[in-house]
Amino acid sequence: MPAPASDSDTHFSLLPLAPSSSQDQSLPVIYPIRHSLSPPISRIAISWARGNALRVSLFRHHQHVGDGEDDAGGRVVEVKLSGAGNGGTDNDAQWRRIVYGSVTPFAVFQNRKNSALALSKLPVGALSDVEWWEYVMEYSREINSLLGTAKSTASSTVEDPRTILAVDEEPNNLKAAWELLEIFYADKPSQAWLPERLVDWLADYDGLFADTQSTVYSKLVDLQKDLLYLQAIEDDPKYWDGLSSALAVGWLEIVVKLLRLHGSCQLDQLGRRETENGLVEAVVVLVSKVPRLRPELRAGRLGECYRNKTDFIKAWETWRARVTKLECSAFWLECEHQQTKEGLRKLLQIMLGASEHLSATTYNWVELYIAHFLYIRPFTMGLESMYSLAQKCIQLKPVSHHNSLMGLLLGILGENTEVVLAECSKAFGPWMVTHAIELLTAGNDQSEILLREVHDNLGGVSIQELHRLVYAQVLVSHQLTWQTTSTRKARIAQGKTLEICRLYELESVSSNIMKIAGVHHWKHGRKGSGIFWLQQAQDEIRLNKIAQKLFDFVGKSISQETFKQWEGLIELLGSDTRTTGGLEFLHKYRDFKKALQQVGDGKAKDAARRAVESLITLMKSPSTPQRFWLPLLYDSDTGSPESSRTHFMAVDLTHLRPQGHVCCLDYSNNGCRESAASGLTATGKDYGQGRAAEKAKELKLLTWREGPLLDASQTNLLLNKLQELSMAKLRPDYVEADLPPQALNSVRLALARNLGRAILEEQ
Amino acid sequence: MATLQPQTQTNHLQIHRLPQSKYVDAVRWMPPFSAFDKFVVLSFFDSDSSSCTIEIHSLDNSPNNQPILCPLSASPTASRTSSLKTSRDLIAFSTFSGSLNFISPDYRSGEVSLNSSISVQELGFHVGPISCIDVLESECVSVGEDGRVNLVNLGGPKVDYRRIFDGNGLVSHTAAKWASPAEFATGGLGFSLQWWDQRRKPGEPALQFKGNWWPQQPIVLSGVGSGKGQAHLISESEVWEVQFDSHSQSNITSMPSSRLLPVMMCSEDGILSLIEQGAEPIELLAEPCAINSFDIGKQNHSDIICSLEWESLAILSRP
Repeated sequence: MPAPASDSDTHFSLLPLAPSSSQDQSLPVIYPIRHSLSPPISRIAISWARGNALRVSLFRHHQHVGDGEDDAGGRVVEVKLSGAGNGGTDNDAQWRRIVYGSVTPFAVFQNRKNSALALSKLPVGALSDVEWWEYVMEYSREINSLLGTAKSTASSTVEDPRTILAVDEEPNNLKAAWELLEIFYADKPSQAWLPERLVDWLADYDGLFADTQSTVYSKLVDLQKDLLYLQAIEDDPKYWDGLSSALAVGWLEIVVKLLRLHGSCQLDQLGRRETENGLVEAVVVLVSKVPRLRPELRAGRLGECYRNKTDFIKAWETWRARVTKLECSAFWLECEHQQTKEGLRKLLQIMLGASEHLSATTYNWVELYIAHFLYIRPFTMGLESMYSLAQKCIQLKPVSHHNSLMGLLLGILGENTEVVLAECSKAFGPWMVTHAIELLTAGNDQSEILLREVHDNLGGVSIQELHRLVYAQVLVSHQLTWQTTSTRKARIAQGKTLEICRLYELESVSSNIMKIAGVHHWKHGRKGSGIFWLQQAQDEIRLNKIAQKLFDFVGKSISQETFKQWEGLIELLGSDTRTTGGLEFLHKYRDFKKALQQVGDGKAKDAARRAVESLITLMKSPSTPQRFWLPLLYDSDTGSPESSRTHFMAVDLTHLRPQGHVCCLDYSNNGCRESAASGLTATGKDYGQGRAAEKAKELKLLTWREGPLLDASQTNLLLNKLQELSMAKLRPDYVEADLPPQALNSVRLALARNLGRAILEEQ
Repeated sequence: MATLQPQTQTNHLQIHRLPQSKYVDAVRWMPPFSAFDKFVVLSFFDSDSSSCTIEIHSLDNSPNNQPILCPLSASPTASRTSSLKTSRDLIAFSTFSGSLNFISPDYRSGEVSLNSSISVQELGFHVGPISCIDVLESECVSVGEDGRVNLVNLGGPKVDYRRIFDGNGLVSHTAAKWASPAEFATGGLGFSLQWWDQRRKPGEPALQFKGNWWPQQPIVLSGVGSGKGQAHLISESEVWEVQFDSHSQSNITSMPSSRLLPVMMCSEDGILSLIEQGAEPIELLAEPCAINSFDIGKQNHSDIICSLEWESLAILSRP
C-alpha cells in the first residue's frame, strides 16, 4: 500500500492523482475528507451509506492508538457524492422533481404499450401506426417538458433592433440530448425532413458546444456586445464574420436583422449609398427566400417552405439562379465600400454552397454539417447518407474534445444502439437511459432485441434490465433510509420501490430491500418487525433460521405462562397465506393452546376435539421440531400449574405424582375399559401404584372422560412419534426438553390408555 | 378493487399542489389564532444536507388562487420526525431517534414563532424510533417499535414519563390515540389493537383485539393482515392515516347514532378518500405517489392538507 500523503492534517489522499492523460477524459472529482485523525492511517474501509453517500472508515495503526487521551483509534465519516446519476443537473432538488415527474408519463406509456401488445394479438384489433406514434410522441413531449423550457437561443423575436440574440435561459444538455432522441426515434411524421429538424435543433442548442471552443453562437454573443457601441459596423470585419456564420447555420432572421444594421440602411445615409443599400436589400430578399424542405416554420423564422420534394427542387433551382444572377450583377462594380462588397458576395457564396466558405465560417463539424444540409445537400435522406456526410464533416473539422451531444448524434446517425446508450449513460445517467430505451425501441425491433438480450457479462440481465435496475436504485436512494427509520418509513421506501419495481419489472429488488429491513429489525431486537418484513419478502430461509432461534427461546417456556408474552408475535404469523417458514409451528401451537383454553368455556367437547385436531396437525407437520413433540404431548396431558382458569387443564403431574398415577386420573365407570387400557400399557410399571386424584374431574385431552378423543390410528401416530423420540434420544445432538423426568412415561401411559379405549370404542 | 368514483360533491373541490424540494415528514394544521389566519406546522427533511427542521408556515388559500405558504418560524431538529400532533397550545413531535419534543407556539405580535422547546430523551424512554404519539391536554402517549407504551405528563414543572407497558420488541406498536383522559387505544403489527384504561387496569391492556374483533364484522379499510373478508377492499395498498371527518355537519345531526362518522384516509397508492358507512368511497385526490399524511382543518373542516411522497404538499378546499 502506498504511504499516505502527510502534507495536511485535514486532507487525505491515498494516491497521487495523475493529471488526466487524455483531453477526452473529464477530471476526477476530489472530495476532501475531514477526519482529524493524526497520521499514520493504516486502513481504510469504504461502503455505501444512505443515498448517494459513501461511508469511509479510517483506522489508525494499532500501535499508535492510545498515545494521547484525545486520540481516537479511527473515525467513520460520510462523504456525500454529488452529481452522480443526476443527468448533469447540479441542483439535486430540481433533478428529483424531474425524476418524480417522469414516473407518471412512463407508467401511462407502459400501459399503452401493453394494451397495444395485447391488441396486436387479436385478429382485428391492432393499433394503427398513427395512433401508436402519437402515444410515443406524447410520452416524449411530457418527458421533454420536465427538462426545462429552453427557448431558442438563436431567435430574433426581440423587438430591439440591436439585440440579435435572446440570451435568457441556460440551455441544458439533457434537454438537448432528449430532443435529439425525439427527432430521430419518436417523431415519425417529420422523418421526411430530418435535416431541417437538425437545423432547428442546432439553433436551440448551439450554445452548448461553446464550453471549450468558439461556436457561431458564442461569436454572435460577442458581436452583440460590440453592436452597442460600434458606429459604422460595416467597417468591422467581426460584423461580416458574424453575418456569414449566422447564414451558414441558417439563422436567417439574425442575418436579416444584422444586414438592416448596415450603415447604408440608415435614413441619413440612404441618399449617399443607394447602390450599397440596393445590394444589401437584394441579399436580404434572397436570404428571406431560402427554400426549405419542410412543411412549416416556427413563427418569426424566415425561408420558403416546401412540403413536396418536386416543388422544392423547382424552387431551389430558381432561387439559386437568382443568387447566381445577383452574384454576376454589374452593380458590384459600383459598390464603393470594399468590406460591404466582399462581405455581401461572401454571403452569396455561402448560399451557393461554396464549401471553403462554409468551412471557414463554422466552428465545429455539427455546424458545418448543418451548413451542408442547407446549401449543398438539402435532399440528403436516410441515416446512411446522413452518417457519411457527418463523417465527411468530421474529417474537415476534427473533434478535439469529447462532447456528449456530438457523440450521441454520431451514435444515432451510425445506428449504433450501444453507442447511443453509452453516451446517454455516461453523460446523463440511468434515468436518461431508462427513458431513452423507450424511444429507441418504439419502432426498432433490432434495438429491442439487442436491449432485451440477456448478457452473461452483465450478470445474466439484459441491457434494459440493467439500466432500469440502476435507475430504480438511484430513484429510491434519496429516501431509502430504512436503516435508521421506522417501519412506516421503511414501508414508504418499500412502497416506492415496489411501485418502481412494478414499473420496471424488478420484483427481486424490492424483495431484497424488505429482507434487509427485516434482518435489520431482527438484529436490533425488534423481533416482531423483523418477522413482519421477512414475511413480506417471503424469505423462507431466514424465517426458518429465525424459527430455530425462537424455538430455543420458546423451548424454555413452552409449558409455562410466559408463553402469553409471545401471543402478539404469534399473531403476526396469523394468515396462513403468507410465508412463515418454520414459524408455522408457533402459529399452530397457538391455535392448539387456544383450543385448550376454550375447552373450559362450556363447549368443552367441541373445543377438545379442535385441540386434538391441532395436536395431530402439529405432530404431523414437518415444521414442528422434534424436540417439541414431547412438550406438546405433555401439554395436552397437563396444564400450567398456576392458572386453572386460563389453563383449565390444570392437573399438574408434578403435584399428582406423589398421590397417585396418571391412569387414576381417568375417571371411568367402565372397569373393563380401564383394565384393557392398562393391559396395553407398555411401560406401565407404575400403573396402579396410586389412587384417584382429587381433581379427577378436570380431565386431560389424552384421557378424556367422555370417551377417547383420539381414534386408534391417531393414537398410534402419537405413539410412533414417541418411539421415534426414544430412538432420537440416543443421538448425540438430542436436545432434552425442560420437563420432569417422568414426562415421557406419563405421556406414553396416557396414550396407551387412550388407545385401549379407542379400540374398544371402535369395536 | 372497489370502484372509486369521484362524485358530484367533489366537483367544486379545489386542489393545489405545492412542490417543496424537501421531504415532508409530517404536516398538521395549527389551531387557529383568529378566524382569518391559517397556520400549518411542517416537519421537513432535506436529503441534500441531511438536515431536519420543524417549521410554522402561514397559509393564504383564498378561493380560486394558488395558495401561498409563507414560512414564519423554523427550528432545527436532531432527527427526522416520526409523528407530529398539535393540540390547543402545544406542538408535539417524536423522532426516529426516540426523542419526544414539545414546542409551545408563541402567538404574540400577530405572528407565530416557535419557542420553549422541551424534550424527553432519557435512557430507557424508548429504544429506537418512536412510531406514534397522541396528545390530549397535557398528557402525551407514545408508542414505539420497541413495543413500549409511555405516558408523558406536561402538567408539572418538569416533564416526566411513566412506562405503562414494555413489549420487549416482540411486537411493535405503530399507532396510538387518546379516547378520554384515562383511556387510549394502540395498534401494532399483525392487526392487533389494544384498549388501555388507566383506572381499571393500569399496566396492561384492558382489552385486546386480535383479528376476532366484534360480533359484527368491522368495516375493513385495508386488507393487510385482516385475514378474511378481503374480497371487497376499499384500498388496495396500505393506509397511512385515518381520521374521522365531521365536514358535512348536516349528515351528523340527521345521522342515527348507530352509524359511524365518515372517515377520511390516505394510502400508499396515492389515494385520499372519504368513506361513509354503507356508501361507495369518494375519491378526493389521486396522486402518482404515496400520500403520506393528511390533516383536516381543526376549525374549518373544509380545508385539508396532505404531504406527498414526492416532496410536495397538496391543499384541498372543499365546497
